[in-house]
Amino acid sequence: MTATEQHVKRLPNDIGGLPAAPIQQVEHPLEPWEKRCHALADVLDYHKIINTEEKRRGVEALGAEMVNSLSYYERWIVAFANILFQKGILVPGELALKMEEVEARFHDSDPGAAAPRDS
Amino acid sequence: MNNEAAAHDGDHSHSHAPVQQEEHPTYYEIMEIAVRELLVDKKLLGPGEIRRQIEVLDSRTPALGAKVVARAWVDPAFKARLLENGRKSCEEFGISFYDDTQLIVLENTEKIHNVIVCTLCSCYPRVLLGLPPDWYKLKPYRARTVSEPRAVLAEFGTVIPDDVEVRVSDSTAMVRYLVLPRRPPGTEALTEDELAALVTRDAMIGVITVNGPDEKEAP
Repeated sequence: MTATEQHVKRLPNDIGGLPAAPIQQVEHPLEPWEKRCHALADVLDYHKIINTEEKRRGVEALGAEMVNSLSYYERWIVAFANILFQKGILVPGELALKMEEVEARFHDSDPGAAAPRDS
Repeated sequence: MNNEAAAHDGDHSHSHAPVQQEEHPTYYEIMEIAVRELLVDKKLLGPGEIRRQIEVLDSRTPALGAKVVARAWVDPAFKARLLENGRKSCEEFGISFYDDTQLIVLENTEKIHNVIVCTLCSCYPRVLLGLPPDWYKLKPYRARTVSEPRAVLAEFGTVIPDDVEVRVSDSTAMVRYLVLPRRPPGTEALTEDELAALVTRDAMIGVITVNGPDEKEAP
């Protein structure tokens, strides 16, 4: 099979059966933001805003380069933003403004002044 | 891309610097906060929902799955119902699913050893085991388990005899699997709670077997 045929026949997530390295039995406790991201996924599914399959396809739609360079929950949050744009629930400009606003909280001279990050 | 984001060059390289996490969140953490707050502002999510779901996530540990396994070992009627309809019998056991996933419980026997995987992503019986370990979500386990399960199991120290069939079940968004491990010999006198204490997460994924109370850990 040529390299390009491989791309056609297998989307980035479809790795079952491919050769790969030995198993490294790694695990880590989730960072707080990762756990919030996971909870967000569950709540979005519960409210039928983004279901598990949409999330999986949203990650795949990031493309191989991003899939390979972002960590697991980094992929999720970027996929959620893209899916919410596609559904017209958010627009990119408002997310950019909101991110600037959130970022500014952390530039406050008193770190304790950061607004509650878990709603 | 900022420096913190660039430092995340894959699943193996999470930043574990707590001070930096607290005071200088990464681009992705800021995105998570912003998305969540916008959705709350739009009243698509309730203000306390994420916190409540984190409590649900924290309440799910492999101890739940172990209780189900121990009950199945001591109660043949429960085991029959569990194998017939995993979700219904777990709910009867008092476990809430909070989602639409179905559960198929796979019984290990003298002749069949089951192992579960999610080749496409990370689907997992979270209701019974909590969140999956990183290795379950990484390429080597996802890629190789379906094509060379015996080699993968051997890397976990599990050698399945040639006359035992190895069955690999590939999870989906809607259908999750749990392995019902074999009850170890010499455990006839144990209580249900003592049995549950023998059952580990990895045994319910199917990458190891359950040891009896006097057996040493597999090397």
